[in-house]
Amino acid sequence: MLNFNSPIQNEKKYNEIKITELEPTIKINLRSNKREFSTKIGKILSILPPTEANTSSGNENYSLLWLSPDEWLVYSKNKNQNFKDQIELEKKLFNEISKINQGAVTNVSDHWVLFNLKGNKIYDLLTKSCPFDFNEFKKKKGSVLQTIVNHIDVIIHNNENNDLNLFVRRSFSEDLWLWINDSASFL
Amino acid sequence: MFIINCPYCGKRDQVEFSCGGEAHIERPKQPTELSDDQWAEYLFMRKNIKGVQFERWNHTHGCRKWFNMVRDTSNDKIHATYKMGEKPPIK
Repeated sequence: MLNFNSPIQNEKKYNEIKITELEPTIKINLRSNKREFSTKIGKILSILPPTEANTSSGNENYSLLWLSPDEWLVYSKNKNQNFKDQIELEKKLFNEISKINQGAVTNVSDHWVLFNLKGNKIYDLLTKSCPFDFNEFKKKKGSVLQTIVNHIDVIIHNNENNDLNLFVRRSFSEDLWLWINDSASFL
Repeated sequence: MFIINCPYCGKRDQVEFSCGGEAHIERPKQPTELSDDQWAEYLFMRKNIKGVQFERWNHTHGCRKWFNMVRDTSNDKIHATYKMGEKPPIK
């Protein structure tokens, strides 16, 4: 297990909504505008960073999310990865990218907290306090969105139909967790 | 509330953005040769047009990129958004 103290450690079920905290998860932020960056990432993670806005790419171990034209977030899908895996991945990325000035690698595992939302009413829940129009987003598997929910910055990754991963900053995670639970109980 | 078309992310609600003031202000090439008044003019004085204005905006709660916008301040109609470094599509 990662050396991570989860702020939530909970799982809740409501009418057609299930909310789980998916921690610990490895999360690494990547920034670069160099040409060689994509091939380096491809070699290390076996995934090419998506160049199209609001999309993601992935394999069985990692997902790579587009955050801006020169910024991506990689996170592990496998919850059972241990502290050693995290250090090794970070080291590999750092040595191949940061060390030779090809970009910036930042370990943000403790910065973001990951929630998983499942169920038929997850979009009804989010639209209660999010200005984004989810109609196109929910049709496209793997789409990525950075927006605000209940005035809190979030990154949302569409895993599959009615299954979302939501990243929230650690200091706001409890607030958002309480809001989600409160709102879900009224759906 | 109005919808802004971010040149990187697409259409988003205005609450995700913050305005950074007037766009296309050039830094003086020889700042040391300017008088205090000229420097203050460059640094602080901004137009406040009622009508079409060129502005800088930041997608704060999205991609966090700066971009330019042509907006009519009298009715909030957005004529165009374009990336930093690009020429304005409207004169």
